Amino acid sequence: MTDASHDRLKHFVSDAPFDPYSVEALTAEQESYYMASQWRLMWWKLKKHRLAVICGVILLIFYLSILISEFLAPYNLHTRQTGFIYAPPQQVHLFHDGEFVGPFVYGFDYHLNMDNLRREYTPNPDQVQPIRFFCRGDEYKWWGAVPLDIHLACPAEGGTLFLLGTDRLGRDMLSRIIFGARVSLTVGLIGITISFILGIVLGGLAGYYGGWIDIVIQRVIETIRSFPELPLWMALSAALPVTWSPLLIYLGITLILGLIDWTGLARGVRAKLLSLREEDFCTAAVLMGARPRRVIFRHLMPSFMSHLIASATLSIPAMILGETALSFLGLGLRPPITSWGVLLNEAQNINVVAIYPWLMLPVVPVIIIVLAFNFFGDGLRDAADPYK
Amino acid sequence: MLNYIAHRLLIMIPTLLAISFIVFVIIQLPPGDYLETYVAELESQGENVDPQKIAFLREQYGFDRPFLEQYATWVFGMLQGDFGYSFEYSLPVSDVVGDRLWLTVLVSFATIIFTWIISFPIGVYSATHQYGWGDYSLTFLGFIGLATPNFLLALVLLYVANVYFGTSVGGLMDEQFIDAPWTWAKFVSVLEHLWIPVIVIGTSGTAGMIRRLRANLLDELQKQYVVTARAKGLPSFRLLVKYPLRMSLNPFISDIGSLLPQVISGAAIVSVVLNLPTTGPMLLDALRSQDMYLAGSFLMFLASLTVVGVLVSDLLLAVLDPRIRFQGGSR
Amino acid sequence: MKLLAFVFALILIGGGGARALELQETPGLLDDIANGRLPPVSERVPLDPSIVDMVAEGKTVGRHGGTLRTLMGAAKDTRIITVYGYARLVVFNPALDLVPDLLEAVEIEDGRSFTLRLRRGHKWSDGHPFTSEDFRYYWEDVANDENVSPYGLTRALLVDGERPAVTFPDETTVIYTWSKPNPYFLPALAGASPTYIYRPAHYLKQFHGRYQDPDKLAAMVEEASKRNWASLHQRRARQYRNDNIALPTLQPWVLQTKPPSQRFIFDRNPYYHRVDSAGRQLPYIDRLIADIVGSSLVPLKTGAGETDLQARYLRFDNYTFLKEGEQRNDYKVRLWPQMIGAQLALFPNLNNNDPVWRAVLRDVRFRRALSLAINRYEINQVVYFGLALESNNTVLPRSPLFRPEYQKAWTAFDLDRANALLDEMGLTERDDDDIRLLPDGRPLFIVVETAGESTEQTDVLELIGDGWAKAGIKLFAKPSQREVFRKRIFAGETIVSIWSGLNNGIPSADMSPQELAPTSQQQLQWPKWGQFIETKGKAGEAPDMPKVKELANLLKAWENAVGIDKRSAIWHRMLKIHAEQQFTIGLINAVLQPVVVANRVHNVPVKGLWNWDPGARFGIFRPDTFWLDDVAAQSAEK
Repeated sequence: MTDASHDRLKHFVSDAPFDPYSVEALTAEQESYYMASQWRLMWWKLKKHRLAVICGVILLIFYLSILISEFLAPYNLHTRQTGFIYAPPQQVHLFHDGEFVGPFVYGFDYHLNMDNLRREYTPNPDQVQPIRFFCRGDEYKWWGAVPLDIHLACPAEGGTLFLLGTDRLGRDMLSRIIFGARVSLTVGLIGITISFILGIVLGGLAGYYGGWIDIVIQRVIETIRSFPELPLWMALSAALPVTWSPLLIYLGITLILGLIDWTGLARGVRAKLLSLREEDFCTAAVLMGARPRRVIFRHLMPSFMSHLIASATLSIPAMILGETALSFLGLGLRPPITSWGVLLNEAQNINVVAIYPWLMLPVVPVIIIVLAFNFFGDGLRDAADPYK
Repeated sequence: MLNYIAHRLLIMIPTLLAISFIVFVIIQLPPGDYLETYVAELESQGENVDPQKIAFLREQYGFDRPFLEQYATWVFGMLQGDFGYSFEYSLPVSDVVGDRLWLTVLVSFATIIFTWIISFPIGVYSATHQYGWGDYSLTFLGFIGLATPNFLLALVLLYVANVYFGTSVGGLMDEQFIDAPWTWAKFVSVLEHLWIPVIVIGTSGTAGMIRRLRANLLDELQKQYVVTARAKGLPSFRLLVKYPLRMSLNPFISDIGSLLPQVISGAAIVSVVLNLPTTGPMLLDALRSQDMYLAGSFLMFLASLTVVGVLVSDLLLAVLDPRIRFQGGSR
Repeated sequence: MKLLAFVFALILIGGGGARALELQETPGLLDDIANGRLPPVSERVPLDPSIVDMVAEGKTVGRHGGTLRTLMGAAKDTRIITVYGYARLVVFNPALDLVPDLLEAVEIEDGRSFTLRLRRGHKWSDGHPFTSEDFRYYWEDVANDENVSPYGLTRALLVDGERPAVTFPDETTVIYTWSKPNPYFLPALAGASPTYIYRPAHYLKQFHGRYQDPDKLAAMVEEASKRNWASLHQRRARQYRNDNIALPTLQPWVLQTKPPSQRFIFDRNPYYHRVDSAGRQLPYIDRLIADIVGSSLVPLKTGAGETDLQARYLRFDNYTFLKEGEQRNDYKVRLWPQMIGAQLALFPNLNNNDPVWRAVLRDVRFRRALSLAINRYEINQVVYFGLALESNNTVLPRSPLFRPEYQKAWTAFDLDRANALLDEMGLTERDDDDIRLLPDGRPLFIVVETAGESTEQTDVLELIGDGWAKAGIKLFAKPSQREVFRKRIFAGETIVSIWSGLNNGIPSADMSPQELAPTSQQQLQWPKWGQFIETKGKAGEAPDMPKVKELANLLKAWENAVGIDKRSAIWHRMLKIHAEQQFTIGLINAVLQPVVVANRVHNVPVKGLWNWDPGARFGIFRPDTFWLDDVAAQSAEK
């Protein structure tokens, strides 16, 4: 045997043990990307859409504020000051006579003009009323249980803090708007839940089974969609027994809004199911013996749930505007319940438009919320769309 | 194609029947009947009402008959063209609705045309200059229109128009032209009053239209044929108009079906605020005072309008878009 | 009696009137006279017209001509023009006395026999004579015809169920007689929505089964889509509703526009029976236009100057806005006090079904305590700028029956006394929130139901709630809907409700005190007792509180009393009972009603009153005497 080792070309062979899966190994980053669930992907895409994120944050802030409305509002909901009826908004100043004093408002001088029965308020530069923060103000029971009296901002002792003016009973508008958010924002949520459930169940049944179930459900959808919205709302609201407590009426209104709105969702669900039904994964599940309910909810639904959520989000503003419209017509919520719709209803007269325009300010949060929901929903939909 | 049309027409009939029954049930849901409302209203204003007269009227109007009999009378009447009798106006329904109907149609069509005219250029601009400042601000404006509650906007515009432009408040024309024959002055007066309701109602529709047009156009602009055409040197504008725009006109047509009832119903609230002699305020009053036949017949009319409108728009779509025809359905 | 004296005076004036007065032609009608469509004024005015002395009434003599615009809220408001026109057989004058108007004279005997004398030569608006035949047609062919009136005679014509004996001695005389006094007859004829005891017979006979050919009648019934000729007749004969342009009338203005319309035009009645002392036939104003707009738009349109005379659909809180438009739009806003007994009053339901609540509500100390715990001063200041009167639900200072103790009893804001009364009643137990407990342990939560129509009510309830809380009572306001609200009260399911008070706050002793006694189901404090009396025992419950029974008896006594002293005494006893017992808890009255009058309109009083009955809104101030100053001065040529 000749010694051939010094004839061969020098080459390097690793003597580490052979790992058959090395080609397929992923870096940590790649791993997280490929293994990410559908929801994570959506979340990452959403983050890129700046406007949607900002709107999402705004919405979150509004909804969280509901929990601490009493703390945020300078006054309680029913606090009224008969000496300050229809007071205009007070401006916040920082400098008084050239000196920095901190945020404060000027006190009011009040004069009743007996000639045209107008209450005239003039800011009095001699009365400086500094705003207190984290202070003790009107007492309240947080969530009806915990008695507290701490507020984010209160007026100076013996002073007033009407940042958005007052209404005809001397109630602070800012506080009313903050409390009104509770009702207005949650009306949409409950209504959406109802229409969501109805839409998924009925749309799912129609799409999956086809046949006569599909035809019947489609006719029902068409019947409901043929009704002009407004008269249907009106007729149904007029049918709500007025002997119900305000809370029940509130639930009744959300029920009505939800019952009418589910059709759009159902149609979308049905369309998606009709196309997805033919996919392989669905056939596989059926072959493996899965019952229809499992197939629908475990396999088919998640593939377009994101789209559904986006649609649902876009329906909430319609509900909020619907509640506003119903309250305007006097069919929805009424005082003493406070919602933005009720506040706008009270602003719906010529006295307000001509003489006390600050009472129309509740329209601003309505616009903000509706816009925020629309942009956020758009962002969700873009994020949920797998083809972009 | 003919099969499709026939099939759709046949399906319409049971749908309309079901709608008529639901409408009637809904009208009757609130407790009491028209006479009770009438009595309550008079008495609350301090006028006293003869109970004998009320009993007499109750019998005359047939409120003492059972529910199904009243329903049947109404439906058979409608099929013969008799839409019933309005208690509030003491006239047949067709007389009450007649005048107002064409004004409603006028306002609705003016609004729809306004919506198209506004949303079309904005949609196109937004799509072609995506994510630019113009895009953001125009879409934002469109959305503001969507988000503002109509009735408040109507009242504010009414006041502004009166104080700054001297337009007489509310209505569709100056008082002296009501019931007067058509002259140029009357026409100008109508135009003067028309712009407020059209803007108020139209702005909420434009946002949706803009969004859809923009989305569709964006989809089209990314397709291969557009890239090819651009590579081959077709000028931008001509490129835009000749192919993608036509494709994205789809929503305009398909929306007629849903736009019409939306406009009519959105118009209802605004008409109440602005006191337009259209059908909205009439319907509202009828529902409130339980003027059964007026409310019921009119709701039926609106519902039928929608059903027919959807049918027409589906057919139009089928004609325009061969894919739908060949796939045998609009979904 | 005052009435008889006035009557005699009028006979004297009326009888010699036409002869002595030189009548002037109305410029607006000259065309029609030239064309032969109308006769000259001497043939249009009755031989015995009603002569109005403007200066004596505190008015100015006016000129013919012009158009007056007003705004209405719904097509059926054409009836309001009938109210404003106020041409009645007898009318109330601004001093609230009953005087003849369409009638030339009324003779009353013992309060039970009424001889009505018509004016000679009085014609309907189409020129046909107005005679006792029109009264006969009503009595025999309408009121007593079982087809047209299957349910019998109207209330004002029955005395304890007894029908009158009606005779028509000649063309200008009608006599109604009962065996007992009927104090309701004349006020019913003078009402804003009056009892009509006449019909235009010559026009309506064509719709009556007794006078019309049956086939023709059947054809007419068919064409009008009515069930039978009675229904057709009733439809064509609506004098109050005023929606048939072919129906002849005696009102100052006649409807010219066929419904439905958004704009109703009324032209002068060429055969109207009143003239001014210079011989001009009234009304001065040629034309009335009523534009139908949504009721919520009326303040805005008024402020924009689109109306010449407006009060309906204007509320007190519109005053500031309306004032701003005065200079720009050439009008003035006047404030007339409303004459209802209370703008808002609380009605504890004495017929409540729950025995515990019923016992509490029927205890007079409870009602007094509720009244004492209300700060009426605050309500007046906050809602009405202090311009209204804090008062019980009682008569107003303008009424001859007014006494300060009726207004003020139990209205002071005295929480100590209120608490003392409640303690005295035994309601001393309180729960954790310091709310008193009922005898069976339930907390004193009073649910005050409203018809949900005005924020005024909910606002006032909030103010009241604060006061009551300090007396240990919690108030819940529950807005409802009008019919449901009334139904619940009638069924005894409400505890307290809120509504307006007495319809007639300015009665004289000659007017009926029926609102103070249980007479109708509409009385929200005792609906079942009222219903019992109204249906003569067929439904409801008999009153079982001694004071209420006393009120019912006093009403009977009044109906039989003759002579103003006796009637006055009865009124005062009833008012006293109400003030002491607080059956209704009144809050505020004499609230001011803005009345917008364009500067071109004259003879509208600066300080008037605003009431439905008596008053007929503008009626008692006789709009036929209003005139416009921007028409060219009268001259021979048009």
